[in-house]
Amino acid sequence: MTRHHMVIRWLAIALATTLGATTALYAAQQQQLVVYHWWTAGGERQAMQVIFDAFTKKNPTTKIVDNPVAGGGGITLKTVLLGLLAAKIPPDTFQSLSGAELKQYVDGNYVAPVDDVWTAQNLNANYPAVIGKMTTFSGKHYGIPMNAHRANWLFYNTKLFKDLKLAPPTTADDLIAAAKRIKAEKPGVAPIAIGTREKWPAVFLFDVVLLSTGGPDVYEKFYTGQLDVKTSPELRTALEKYKDLIPYLYEFHGAKTWSDIAGPMAEGKMGMMVIGDFAAGLLVQAGFKEGVDWDAVGFPQKPQEVFLMIVDTFVRPVGAKHPEATTAWLTNLTDPQVQGTFNIVKGSIAIHKAVPDSTYPDKLHRTASATFKSKRIVPSSIHGVLAPPAFLSDWQDILTRFLYSPDVNRALTEISDAMTLDKVTESGNWYWAK
Amino acid sequence: MTYTRTHLVLFLGPLLLIIVLMYGMMAWTAAVAMDDWVGMAPVWKFAGWNNFHALLTGTLRQRFLTSLRNNLTWLGVFILPTASLGLLLAYGLDLVGRAERVLRPLFLYPMALSFVVTGTVWAWMYDPDAGVFNDILRSIGLGRWTQPWIADPTLGTFCLIGAAVWQYTGFAMTLYLAAIRDIPREIFEAARVDGATDVNLFRYVVVPNVGHATMIVVAMLILVTLKVFDLVWVMTFGGPGNSTEVLSFFMFVATFRQQFVGVGAAISVVIMLLAIAVVVPYAWWSTRRLPT
Repeated sequence: MTRHHMVIRWLAIALATTLGATTALYAAQQQQLVVYHWWTAGGERQAMQVIFDAFTKKNPTTKIVDNPVAGGGGITLKTVLLGLLAAKIPPDTFQSLSGAELKQYVDGNYVAPVDDVWTAQNLNANYPAVIGKMTTFSGKHYGIPMNAHRANWLFYNTKLFKDLKLAPPTTADDLIAAAKRIKAEKPGVAPIAIGTREKWPAVFLFDVVLLSTGGPDVYEKFYTGQLDVKTSPELRTALEKYKDLIPYLYEFHGAKTWSDIAGPMAEGKMGMMVIGDFAAGLLVQAGFKEGVDWDAVGFPQKPQEVFLMIVDTFVRPVGAKHPEATTAWLTNLTDPQVQGTFNIVKGSIAIHKAVPDSTYPDKLHRTASATFKSKRIVPSSIHGVLAPPAFLSDWQDILTRFLYSPDVNRALTEISDAMTLDKVTESGNWYWAK
Repeated sequence: MTYTRTHLVLFLGPLLLIIVLMYGMMAWTAAVAMDDWVGMAPVWKFAGWNNFHALLTGTLRQRFLTSLRNNLTWLGVFILPTASLGLLLAYGLDLVGRAERVLRPLFLYPMALSFVVTGTVWAWMYDPDAGVFNDILRSIGLGRWTQPWIADPTLGTFCLIGAAVWQYTGFAMTLYLAAIRDIPREIFEAARVDGATDVNLFRYVVVPNVGHATMIVVAMLILVTLKVFDLVWVMTFGGPGNSTEVLSFFMFVATFRQQFVGVGAAISVVIMLLAIAVVVPYAWWSTRRLPT
């Protein structure tokens, strides 16, 4: 054998070893879970870690490949996903909201049904019926929700309310009356705290006004395009009351975000604030005490108190590379233990009925959990859960414009046009399907 | 050395690849603009000029015109102050001598910042309550001149432009500084011997000799005004209402939030046509004026 042959033989052996080792290594690497989500803010990141830890404990050989994409409500993540899904390189699971937002992925054939997990975990019995409805399209479940935020909280400054002997308002009229009192007796205080620089908080405020003037049925009909916008008395009244609130809003709301003005509300520079339960976490972190500096009540209380709900969901993408890991991930989300621990950190509440109200360290979330189990649950319009995201984008523009030039008739025309353009009725049909 | 076929492939290949990719993507966008694509997954349904029609006369007209008007406001208001401030600073730096080393990075610094940082910081400065602008006005007794700044629908766009001027002045300054350094020193010295002041020098020596820099600066700034997005996104999110929206912002929201992908592509085509319509005649006109 010549030297030349020796070299070739050794090369062949080396090549074979490398190939073999690579395959073996690759096989070891195969157990992965590629996950995309938007929980990047302070508490959210830690909350996600709770799920990761629980998942790893149950599936020690599966490596989580974490891809957080910052941007509230998943606005940036959606852009990223659009590319990944269109290019047919889906992750193993990703975060979505439920309802109309989730329907977009279903319509695009990008997500597969999760009925196996749904049935195995008996979610029909363990989750409220409305949550099943918000993940069901053409008779199949397409997402596994795991937490609920409540959107209809009225936060208020306790010292201010004690000073003025004010009771927390229960209706839109009450809210206006309370704002009037605050403005008359404390001219330096902005009665209603709101920050519309990111636009969507304007929708939070409108939603509770509409719930007060029309009740939950009108609310659901409006956002699913079942209401005749131009003739509906409830909607007109809601816009008129929204207009009546304008003089009492914090003057420079267009320059502030919701998180900018939560602090001033707790300090007493502003009176009340309609926002979701996520504001509680921010206030506590900033050192303001629940029951001492601020408090919160469900709003409105009349004609009936509801739980206006935002739900986070994880899905099973079509063509995911590690289907077993996806199933394990979705199953883990339904674990009451995981939901309880996760939601304490996240500042939302668990939706699994086995999680007791006493899980939460603060009054606000204990109340939320009790309301969730006892009162009617209405899907919030925010971030495109009830109405499609296309309408939500136009809707927040209409409302912020209205706050600067309040013309009820023009607003009604704008709403009607946007609903036609964004096909709200058509895409809201899923909500009324039996 | 003779050039072989290998050289041809080696050097022209990458160029061709870029051209194919770039023009391919542009053609793709144009094709999507002619499609009735709504929703997440691609829909290849020919719609003719429908998307453009919707923008110009249909339901999106108002929004399109607001965005277009704001882009034109940017075009009209942003370029002159940025270019002239840049030129003045460049001449100033040329005059101060050795202090330039310290000063130049100072003016260049904003260029190194991301738009998100600039936007966030300027939004704080424009804050009606705690912002530095209103604070200054109040502290010098001009309290009644305080403004809501970005929270005012009519002032909003001008506030955004203010932040952009700050960010781009350093860029204009750098190009102008290079142009001024290119002017033969003898001209300056001769002019000084003849008794020219600094102002005279600026007017009669600097300005007439930096035409080529002006051409580049203005052309680049025109493109900035047509593609501005980040500052709007960070500072006002297009608001209040739609009052500060620009075409690129409208395009992003229509495409990715509302998933009117066809309409979004149509807006992209409009932006490209605008860029061509503004930059090409300008470049043609200004190159003709340059000495050969």
